[in-house]
Amino acid sequence: MNIKYSKNRIEFEKELNALDKFVIDFTFILNKLNIKYVIVSGYVSILFGRSRTSEDIDLIVEKLNFDKFRKLWENVYKKFECIIEKNSEHAYKEYLLTGHAIRFSKKDKFIPNIEMKFPKIDLDFWVLEERREVLLNNYKLFISPLELQIPFKLFLGSEKDIEDARHLYSIFKDKLDLELLQEFNRKLKIEKLFNKYLK
Amino acid sequence: MKTPNIDLEELKRIKKENFKERLEFIDRYTEWLKKTSNKKWSSEQKDLIDS
Repeated sequence: MNIKYSKNRIEFEKELNALDKFVIDFTFILNKLNIKYVIVSGYVSILFGRSRTSEDIDLIVEKLNFDKFRKLWENVYKKFECIIEKNSEHAYKEYLLTGHAIRFSKKDKFIPNIEMKFPKIDLDFWVLEERREVLLNNYKLFISPLELQIPFKLFLGSEKDIEDARHLYSIFKDKLDLELLQEFNRKLKIEKLFNKYLK
Repeated sequence: MKTPNIDLEELKRIKKENFKERLEFIDRYTEWLKKTSNKKWSSEQKDLIDS
């Protein structure tokens, strides 16, 4: 595995699978419209080789005003559709502004889908601000810092989440800011889980 | 229909063992990933995900 890793950027090449292409198709629109986003889901593990797939990709998107959201909606609707709500104003006011997520899939499909929400808690704002750039085959994506992604997966705590955390930690343990990772372990109160499953 | 006896403690033990085995698989798999070219591992991942 050949990955160039620095604090703010991870750069590598791979043969793209259908899920990678799906994520690229959606984030291309966000990049084009200069909308700040971060991928926070299990896809981060899949991006770096985990041997599983996923039905959803979780994104946190900066809070948009309705005009900007409508522009995003119009662009997204060229290839995707919202499977939660067909009306853009309702999607914005009744879901996003009330802290709920909306989901987009490719037209006439249900899975995989992008689960998109606005930041709500401090942690959401932090991860959006501290997002890391990934250059995948020279295409730009933004993901959660692994120093948070790994502890957060342990915090979520299902067997699948723990396996995702173990995968990422095994791949990147020599490159991570371990002080930052340990701080999140402390804050999320998962030191015991970390010692049990990752050390 | 006669149904089998279910020993929940036994099933819990099996579930725990399966999880332990999957974690061990991840260790072996990530070791393999680290020494394998991007082209090869991502091609195998593509086969799995796109199948």
